[in-house]
Amino acid sequence: MLLCRRLPLRPLQRAFPRSQALTRPYSASTTPPWRPSVILDEWVQRESRPISLRQLTFFGRTLTEARLLSSANYVRLELPTRLAHRLRNMQTLPYAALTNEHVAHVYELYYRAFELFRKVPTVQNLDDNERLCEVLRTALTEHLTVIPRLAMGILEIQDSVSGDECDRFMTTLLRSRISRRVIAEQHLALTETFNSPWHFDGKMSSVAPEDEFVGEIFLKCNAREIVEKCAKRARELTSKAYGNKVTIPEIVLQGHLDTTFPYIPSHLEYILGELLRNSIQGVVEQSGSSQPPPIEVLICEAAQQVIFRISDRGGGIDRDILPYLWSFAKGPRRSKRLKNLGKVPRLAATMQELQLPPSIPDQTENQNEAETLGFGGSSLSSLSARRPDLRLGIGLPMSRIYAEYWAGSLEVHSLEGYGCDAFLQINRLGNKNEVLSTRAAMDGV
Amino acid sequence: MLSLRAAARNNGSPVSLTRHIRPVTRPIHTKTVTDADIARLAAKPLHPLTLADLCKHGHPPLSEQALFNSANFTLAILPSRLAHRIQSLRALPYIVVANPNVSKIHDNYVHSLSTLLPIAERKIESLKDEVEFTAVMADLVQTHSNTISILARGFLEARKYISKVEVTRFLDEHLRARIGTRLIAEQHIALHFSSKPHQKLSDGHDDDKMDHDSYIGVIDTELKPANIIRNCEQTVGEICELKYGVRPTIDIVGSPETTIAHIPMHLEYILTELLKNSFRAVIEAGTEKEAIEITIAPAPASPEETKETKNKAGQMAHAEVGAISNYDQGSVDYASGSNKPDISASANIRPLREATPGVTVRIRDRGGGITPENYEKLWEYGFTTFNEDEINEKVSGSGGGGGGLDVMSGGPAGGSSLAGLGYGLPLGRAYAEYFGGGIAVQSLHGWGTDVYLSLRGVGKVD
Repeated sequence: MLLCRRLPLRPLQRAFPRSQALTRPYSASTTPPWRPSVILDEWVQRESRPISLRQLTFFGRTLTEARLLSSANYVRLELPTRLAHRLRNMQTLPYAALTNEHVAHVYELYYRAFELFRKVPTVQNLDDNERLCEVLRTALTEHLTVIPRLAMGILEIQDSVSGDECDRFMTTLLRSRISRRVIAEQHLALTETFNSPWHFDGKMSSVAPEDEFVGEIFLKCNAREIVEKCAKRARELTSKAYGNKVTIPEIVLQGHLDTTFPYIPSHLEYILGELLRNSIQGVVEQSGSSQPPPIEVLICEAAQQVIFRISDRGGGIDRDILPYLWSFAKGPRRSKRLKNLGKVPRLAATMQELQLPPSIPDQTENQNEAETLGFGGSSLSSLSARRPDLRLGIGLPMSRIYAEYWAGSLEVHSLEGYGCDAFLQINRLGNKNEVLSTRAAMDGV
Repeated sequence: MLSLRAAARNNGSPVSLTRHIRPVTRPIHTKTVTDADIARLAAKPLHPLTLADLCKHGHPPLSEQALFNSANFTLAILPSRLAHRIQSLRALPYIVVANPNVSKIHDNYVHSLSTLLPIAERKIESLKDEVEFTAVMADLVQTHSNTISILARGFLEARKYISKVEVTRFLDEHLRARIGTRLIAEQHIALHFSSKPHQKLSDGHDDDKMDHDSYIGVIDTELKPANIIRNCEQTVGEICELKYGVRPTIDIVGSPETTIAHIPMHLEYILTELLKNSFRAVIEAGTEKEAIEITIAPAPASPEETKETKNKAGQMAHAEVGAISNYDQGSVDYASGSNKPDISASANIRPLREATPGVTVRIRDRGGGITPENYEKLWEYGFTTFNEDEINEKVSGSGGGGGGLDVMSGGPAGGSSLAGLGYGLPLGRAYAEYFGGGIAVQSLHGWGTDVYLSLRGVGKVD
């Protein structure tokens, strides 16, 4: 580790610091310190290897120690590679962008994580794996604030960076973030499974026939169940936010209700939660407290895809925001969004204490209260459980990123003055690879 | 004698004017068109046409002066539009334009320009001139009525020498420009006939003027989409009954009493095409008993909002809500490169000066949806799910006893058969987009299809 010694060492950058990372005070006004770029260059040269749901599934189905260690080494190399690419993206933004406190904060977080991961030695046995997992857990928790901070930063740097470039930058970063978290969380879940008392080395892992999880992937995501669950949660949250006087519209299902497909539930729940909440808000604000027209959800199954159509009569989308629907950076309501986003990091930070292991599928049942946002370690949950009157303005573009991540899509059609139809398409063929933004692609943009 | 539009009324939906114009007895003067003329005219930039432009001469019956204004306005903008078309055609590969069909279209445009050149230098200030001018317009409309099917045949025959992408690009632009040219001409003709100072008005259909109070030329300021839908339902339904033995039905929900200011011919064409697709899909899927649901959603009008948006949009013209782009109206001239700007730069033409409530029509059917492979090709010209034999029949023009669904695509596109040629959707979209609307198609493969047709109305017209 010759290179390390030349750097001005801070206590943080040794071995595997844990709580130090969390308690180290961060000075908000500084631009990130200079670091030699040669280390980053090395990692930026590597190409990341995309994965598919199917690969993840098959890999995790038959767990042996060898496989687990192989997974650990994949993680050990992929994470710093992907982080390096994103760091390079950030380094090539205009200088002025990095003087923004939020962007700088995220940059620092990523750099520290990069330093952490790249120093992990080859995983050769289960103890090494355990150490790796500890690092993963720390990083996952620490980075929960990234989304809101980044969103705020983007809104604030509009003077130095164009709206389009901001959108591209944000999209690339978020996609990469999903991929890193999927890789990390999947590995943690596999380790969990491997270590659990009912696992037999080499046998097909099966918890119970009806919830077939392979790590984070739920093989038999049932469309009807997941919609009903999200609908219930969305109605509860909005009901609390709007109070007793307002009737929340019913959510009615139709179509091919028995469809199942493999997916990562937290992703789908986030998207459906956002769409349903948008619809409910639209209807409530349009019709007032009288008989609100129901929201219709249609599930359509085809050989290669599953499509969810969410139809509401909430008056459609305002003409002035319609062109900016999918943008993080542009739009006429920026200052409001910025203010609301400022209220979210506090929520994300306090929920760390209530961490539950990611492999338990039912954790999300606990989040009935809008105030106590306790559940699994993904910052998605904090965003999807916050009070609906806090309009952050990032729900739709984030949902689209999640949808497109596994080769799906999200489209919204507005009937101005009447209502909206949202179409979420999920690819059933788990062998579609994640959409990666490699360095080459970024440069080409 | 040229007969009246009124004579052509049919079920509440006026059929194209040109069907009933008999050949002109008075000879039309022409002048040879030189390359210099074309270059000169094509150098002028084209400004986007708005519905307000077409209505600005006033409500019929027009006074003499207003009629002259309309004629002069038309005369001012038509020659350069024709020149642009000629130039675009000439920029296509030689071997494509040499094809007899494509070449015929080229010649038609040159001919039309030659009829305009003699009058282009003068201003129209007398009734005699104006009548002569109207005759020239009628000739123009008549000559070009079959352009699309002839061009389609031509491109099909020349498909080996030009890529699909180039064809799409050319046609997208050409057909949009054509919409404009015909509209300008037909509008003047319609205004001419609905105005007083013509002793040659035979068959004295004065009472029709009461009925047509809402009309300004070809524009109906109180067009009710629900009526057009019902009419199209009838026509398409009849064909289905003829061909398949069953007739699907339509349920109109939302606000059926909505009216907008738009051009009935265009709307009729679009809806006919969309309904043809839906009807055929539900019949072939076996769900014809279930009514197709059509939602009519009027957009709320809000003048303050529109003004605010324009201010906020600032320099980014394409972000300006409601701006009509040159692309939508085929004024970009990609092939010849003669007209660069993508965005409507003319400050004089503000399409949404005031509140313009538009309407969105959503057509939901349960016809099983569109397969992903077909979905990719949806907007290609010449892509169709009819089989090869039916296509060949149509292309060779013999479609006598052929499939039923092709016989009724009359209206603005001309009397010949288009269906099965794969032009319905892209053309329909061209019509919708011409004044800033659009068509979006969302397929739920395995269930059905949702089509969103959005139309913008015209601003307040006095």
